[in-house]
Amino acid sequence: MTALEFSRGYLHDAALIIMTIVYTLRLYWLTRFTAAKERQAPTGRGDTNSRKGFLYSWANVAMPWAMESTRTKLFLYLQFVIFHLGVAAAIALLFTIAWGYGDRSLPPSLAMTFRIIIGTAFTVGLMRIIRRLSSPYLRAISSPDDHFSLWLLTLWFAFAFLAAPNNVASDAVYITVYYIIGSFFLVYVPFSKISHYLYYPFTRYYLGKFLGRRGVFPVRRYSGATGQNG
Amino acid sequence: MSTTVRSHKAQKVIERLGKKLNRQMVGSLAACVHCGNCIDSCHYVLANPGDVTFAPPYKADKIRGLFKRHYDWTGRVLPWWVKAKSVYTDQDLEELKDIVFGKCTNCRRCTINCPMGVDMAVFNRMARGLLVSVGIMPEGVAVVSKDQWEIGNQMGVLKEDYIDTLEWLSDDLEAEHGARYRIPIDKKNADIVYSINPREVKYDPRTISDAALIFGTAGADWTMPSEGWDMTNFGLFSGDDDLGGAVSRRLYEKVEELKGKKLVISECGHGYRSTRCEGPNWAKMDVKFDMESSVITMINFINEGKIKVDKSRNPEPITFHDSCNYGRSCGMTEEPRELLQMVCSDFREMYPNRAENYCCTGGGGAMSMSEYTPRRLKSAKIKADQLRATGAKHVVTTCHNCVDGLTDLIKHYKLDMKVTQLVNLVANALVIEKPAEVPEVIVVAPIAAEAVAAAAVPAFATDGFLTGKRILVADDEPDFVTFVTAVLEDHGATVIPAHNGDQAMELARTEKPDMMTLDITMPGKSGVEVFELLRSDKDLQRIPICIITGKPELRKLIYERTVTRPEGYVDKPVDEEGLLLNVRKILKAKLEKRA
Repeated sequence: MTALEFSRGYLHDAALIIMTIVYTLRLYWLTRFTAAKERQAPTGRGDTNSRKGFLYSWANVAMPWAMESTRTKLFLYLQFVIFHLGVAAAIALLFTIAWGYGDRSLPPSLAMTFRIIIGTAFTVGLMRIIRRLSSPYLRAISSPDDHFSLWLLTLWFAFAFLAAPNNVASDAVYITVYYIIGSFFLVYVPFSKISHYLYYPFTRYYLGKFLGRRGVFPVRRYSGATGQNG
Repeated sequence: MSTTVRSHKAQKVIERLGKKLNRQMVGSLAACVHCGNCIDSCHYVLANPGDVTFAPPYKADKIRGLFKRHYDWTGRVLPWWVKAKSVYTDQDLEELKDIVFGKCTNCRRCTINCPMGVDMAVFNRMARGLLVSVGIMPEGVAVVSKDQWEIGNQMGVLKEDYIDTLEWLSDDLEAEHGARYRIPIDKKNADIVYSINPREVKYDPRTISDAALIFGTAGADWTMPSEGWDMTNFGLFSGDDDLGGAVSRRLYEKVEELKGKKLVISECGHGYRSTRCEGPNWAKMDVKFDMESSVITMINFINEGKIKVDKSRNPEPITFHDSCNYGRSCGMTEEPRELLQMVCSDFREMYPNRAENYCCTGGGGAMSMSEYTPRRLKSAKIKADQLRATGAKHVVTTCHNCVDGLTDLIKHYKLDMKVTQLVNLVANALVIEKPAEVPEVIVVAPIAAEAVAAAAVPAFATDGFLTGKRILVADDEPDFVTFVTAVLEDHGATVIPAHNGDQAMELARTEKPDMMTLDITMPGKSGVEVFELLRSDKDLQRIPICIITGKPELRKLIYERTVTRPEGYVDKPVDEEGLLLNVRKILKAKLEKRA
C-alpha cells in the first residue's frame, strides 16, 4: 500500500470516524446544559415572534445588510464567504477523490472549478493571516489556536489547489499531503475554534428565538432621512 | 506562593460558575471565533482607539478564559493553546471587576453585530453576579443593592417621604386642575397600577405629576401603591438574580394584593425590561396580570380619544434616543416614535437609531459607579457627536438612566440641548378642558426656545416658599456654591456660604440657618464629621441637612452613623429643579414637624 492509498483510505476513514464520535460527544456535552426557560409574555411589535426571530437569525449569515458589522465591511464579508466556500470545496474534494474518482483524474472542468474556489480561498487565507497579525485588536484577542487554525486551513487550501486535478502520476505527493492535512483537520476540528460551525446553529437559534420573542429580531432599520423604515 | 492555591473568593467564583451556566450561555462562551467583527460596534472602542482592552472579544475572553479552563475540553488539557485562564487571587477578581463593571454597559450592541450570535451581555451580567456573590463590586453597586434589599427601592426613599411627595403633588394638582387629579394611593381593583422609578420621587417629581395629569385628564381608573412601587431592579445591573427576583416579586405581589388589572411601568429602560421581561424569570412566577409601558398607555389614551393633544405646543426640534433596554432587549422602538409624531411638530431621527443606537453610556448601572466616571465620559464622545449632528434642542428618551447619562454628557461636551421624557411632552401638549360650567380651555404654554429654562422650573419654585429662609451651603467647589447661591437667592432665600468643614461648623453655630446643604468631601473637617458633630450638638441637631455629593458610594459613611439620618440626599450633578424640590421638601417637613 502506498502512502497515498493509506492517507486517502484508512487514514481518512479513521479521521472521519473520530470526528463523528467527538462531534457527537460535543453535542451531548452542549445539550447537557439546561436551556433557560423564558416566562415573559412576548414584547415588542406584534409582527414578529420567536419563530421569525430564529429564522432571521439563521438567515443572517446570508444577509450582509442585516448587521452594521457586515454592512459597513462588505470586503470582509466577501472574504468570509469565499473562505468558507473554500473550506466546503476542500472538504468536498476529499470525498470526491476518496469515494469517487480514486486514482482517476478529475474532469478538467470540475478540477478547474475546485481550483478557482480553493485558490481564491487560499488568497483570502493569506489576507486573513496578514489581518490577524497586523491588527492590534486581533493580535490581542488571538490565541495560538486561532493562529494555528488559520495557518492550517490556508496551508490545506494550497495543497488542495495542487491536488485538485488528481493526477496521481505526477501529483501523488501533493495529494498525499492534502489527505494527511485533511485527516488531521478532521480530527483537530472538534477541539479547536473551527468547531464553531457546530455551535453556530445553536447560538443563532437561541439568540434569534429570544430576540424574536422580544420583538428585536428581525432588526428594524431606519434607511434614511426621509423617515422610511428599512 | 503557588498559583494553584486559590483565595476563598476565587474558589467560590469557580464553584458558582457551574451553577450559572445554561445552554445559551455555554453556546455564547464556546462559539466566539475571534473574527473581530464586533469590535467597532462598541462605543468604548470608538472613543478609545487603539486600546485593545475595550474590545468586546477581549473583555469577553476574560470571562471565557475562566469557562474554558474549567469546562472546555481543550482548555482543561492545554489551557495556553486557547488562552484559558482561571482566577486565583482576589486581585484577579478585582481585575475582572474592572472589565465587567467598568468597561461594559451590557448594552448588547456587540451582540447584534456578532455573526456567530454570541450574546456577550448575558455572560457579562453572569460574571457580575459571580463577583457580587463574593462581595466584589463597585461601591455604588453595593450601596444601591443594599437599599433595594433593605428599604425596598434603589434610592432608599422612605415610605413617609414617598407618600409625602405624592400628597404634595396631589395638592398642587388639585389646586391647579381640580380634585379628580389627586393621585389615588392603594386603590383596590383599579384598571391601572402605576409603578415608577425612585428617581422620580427624589429628583424628578414632575414626571409623576405629569403622569397624574394625563391619567386624570383621561379619566383613568388608576392607583399608585404605597409600597412595592419601585419598578427598577438593580439585580439587572449587579447580575444578582436573587435580588432581581425579590424586587420583581415585591412589585407583582403588590399588584395582586391591590387586585389591579394592569401594571403600567413609567418610562425607564431597565425598569421596563426588569419588570416586564426578566422579572418573571428571576422571580420564577407566571404573572397573571398585563404589564405595559406608560408609552403604550399614553398612545392608547390618544387613540381612544381619552386625551387630546396639540403638537404645536412642542415646536422645538426634538430627537429621540433609543434606550438599549428598550431597543435591543425589548423591541420597543416604534411606539415612542408614534407618540412623538403625535405630540411634537419637529421630530428628527438620530443616526444610527433603534436597535443600532449607541448606548447613552450611563447604562448597566454605570451612573452608580463613580470610580469609572472619567472613563464613561470619555466614551460618551460617540453619543455626544451623534446628538450634536441632529441639531435638535431636546433629546427625548424613555429611560431615567439615559436621562442621567445624557444630561451628564451634554454638560460635559457643552451641547446646547436638554433631556426630556415623553410624559413631559405629552403633558405639555395636553389640551385640558375645564368642567362644563367653566367653558374656558386651559392652555399649557408651548415650549418656546427662550422659555425652555423657565418651563423646567416647577410651579412650587415660584410660590415664595423660600422667601426669608437662611440656608447654609457647605461645599469646597466655588462653582457649585455660586450655582446653588444663584438658584436659592433667585427664589428669595439668603445663602450663607461655607467652603470647608470647619467654616461650616462655625457658621452653623453662629448663624443658626433654617437648613444646610453639606458636601461630603471637603478640606478640614469632612462632611461626615460635620454631620456627626451637628447631630450630636443639642443646639444644632435640629438644623435639617441635605447631603449633596458627587460620590454616591460615600453615602454609606453617612447612613452608617448612629445619629439621625439626614433629611435629604442629592447626588451631583444637581439641576435647578432637583435642588429646589429637595430644599422645599426639607423645609416643608421642618414646618410640619414644628406644627
